[in-house]
Amino acid sequence: MTPATSEPQTPLLAVRGLGKQFEARDGRKSESWVLRDLSMAVVDGEFVTLVGPSGAGKSTLLNMIAQVDTPSAGEIMLRGQTLATGEHNKLNPGWNRQIGYVTQDDNLLPWRTLIDNVLFPFEVYGGVDAAAREKAEALMNAVGLTGFEHYHPHELSGGMRKRAALIRTLVYDPPVILMDEPFGAVDAQTRLQLQNDLLSLWRLGRKTIVFVTHDIGEAIALGDRVLVLSRAPAKIIGEHPIKIPRPRKIEDVFSLPEFPTLYATIRAQVG
Amino acid sequence: MSIQRIVDRILVGVILLALWQLTSLWIGFYWVSSPLQVAQRMVAWLSDGTLFTESGYTIGSALIGFTLGAVPGAVIPFLLRRRPVLAAILDPYLVAGYATPKLALTPLLIVWFGIGIWSKVALVASISFFLIFFNTQAGVRGISPQLIRMAEILGARETKVARLVVWPAALPYILAGVRVSLPFSISGTAIAEMLSANHGLGYLIQASAVSFDPTGSFTAIITLTAILTIVNILVNRSERRIFNWRPAAAAFGRPKGALG
Ligand SMILES: Nc1ncnc2c1ncn2[C@@H]1O[C@H](COP(=O)(O)OP(=O)(O)O)[C@@H](O)[C@H]1O
Ligand SMILES: [Mg+2]
Repeated sequence: MTPATSEPQTPLLAVRGLGKQFEARDGRKSESWVLRDLSMAVVDGEFVTLVGPSGAGKSTLLNMIAQVDTPSAGEIMLRGQTLATGEHNKLNPGWNRQIGYVTQDDNLLPWRTLIDNVLFPFEVYGGVDAAAREKAEALMNAVGLTGFEHYHPHELSGGMRKRAALIRTLVYDPPVILMDEPFGAVDAQTRLQLQNDLLSLWRLGRKTIVFVTHDIGEAIALGDRVLVLSRAPAKIIGEHPIKIPRPRKIEDVFSLPEFPTLYATIRAQVG
Repeated sequence: MSIQRIVDRILVGVILLALWQLTSLWIGFYWVSSPLQVAQRMVAWLSDGTLFTESGYTIGSALIGFTLGAVPGAVIPFLLRRRPVLAAILDPYLVAGYATPKLALTPLLIVWFGIGIWSKVALVASISFFLIFFNTQAGVRGISPQLIRMAEILGARETKVARLVVWPAALPYILAGVRVSLPFSISGTAIAEMLSANHGLGYLIQASAVSFDPTGSFTAIITLTAILTIVNILVNRSERRIFNWRPAAAAFGRPKGALG
């Protein structure tokens, strides 16, 4: 046992000098870097939010961490183990279920009912047992989807589908969860509800979360720490610890006295 | 459907039958038979079992051939999904095979497989293989890469992806292929039976015609029509059952309930 010291905790997830160039149509690397020399670290149980302008490369960054896209340079590490580097990068999506990914589109399977979508992670890996069902039902209940188990995605509102996509990732407990503007295309009221749902779920589970958004208010209200991404080639240009105590209610965060200053500072950086 | 609609439909049917009866009175039973004679023959051939035996040959050949063609036609696109190089090499040959007018092969198939059911089976297999293959391939290729990626992130490996994502996504396309090729299998069999056979509804149509028995031909044609109609209804029903999750507006193919 190491004694508790002021030594910084080794990060659960670390990204070092990450770079990405997409291949041009003729197959060669294009000249311009979408991401360049990007480094960040996330400790266990931390809720990090990442803001950046649209087209900055936020999705590209998450894709590389989730192992569905390859970096052109740099290194991605999980618990000190290298997942991918610019040189060696054989894709292993989700890194054996260690990294969950809630994408901007819900990507629910349209032919499956809601409950079968939520149970899908068990079906593809390990099998659906009573414990899995219980867990799925508890999560559906926590986000107000009870009663809609046997509906198909097209029969539900956008907000409900987002909730289903969210708990489909929470249900199998990946230690790291990436979220790419998961509450993008819903109305303000639903969005607030979803954000509060996410916070209460997170309080129960305390996963490590990297949450990408272009909404600065959302980044402040949800995160322990806000990282600011520059325009392309993207790198981290700002870091803001958020000292607002938890449990938080999103609507209350917006009326805190420190909120406007924080917002203005980040706003200025995002540019 | 309203009562009025049913009455109107029956009325149109009666008029058509009356026109047929009048035509035959005018130019002679000898050429066009008549509804009454066909009805009598239908009863006779049903009671002596002729229609059951001959339909059995036609349906049996069609189903065996359809299965032999449709199963590989539906499976091979799944195998080629992860082998793009092989798929690209085979592509022109498959396209050529699809373009070949299969009915034109019938004389050769009869030389190779004889006048029994196997030449019909071979014909139908070659027809349904290409129809199902290209439909399935369109489905497999059209699947959203995001859905596959999502399944992989959730821990699905190749066989699970194929079974739980690609298969259900491609199923509407496979069934669209079935909807076209299953009825085509039956009419294709009948046409091959007309060319050379000693059994089957196609044979019955042909043999009756050449022995100046239009009543026999009409009876066999009507039986064939009834079989095809039933097959179409069954295919549509099973499709509706399988796709009951779909939003009505996006339903595959024809608008559902448009006749209701
Ligand atoms: N597959 C790709 N091929 C080429 N360019 C891409 C690809 N994906 C993303 N890009 C480019 O990379 C940049 C960053 O995109 P993205 O990561 O989606 O931004 P964000 O999520 O921050 O809005 C954009 O300029 C986009 O055009
Ligand atoms: Mg994005």
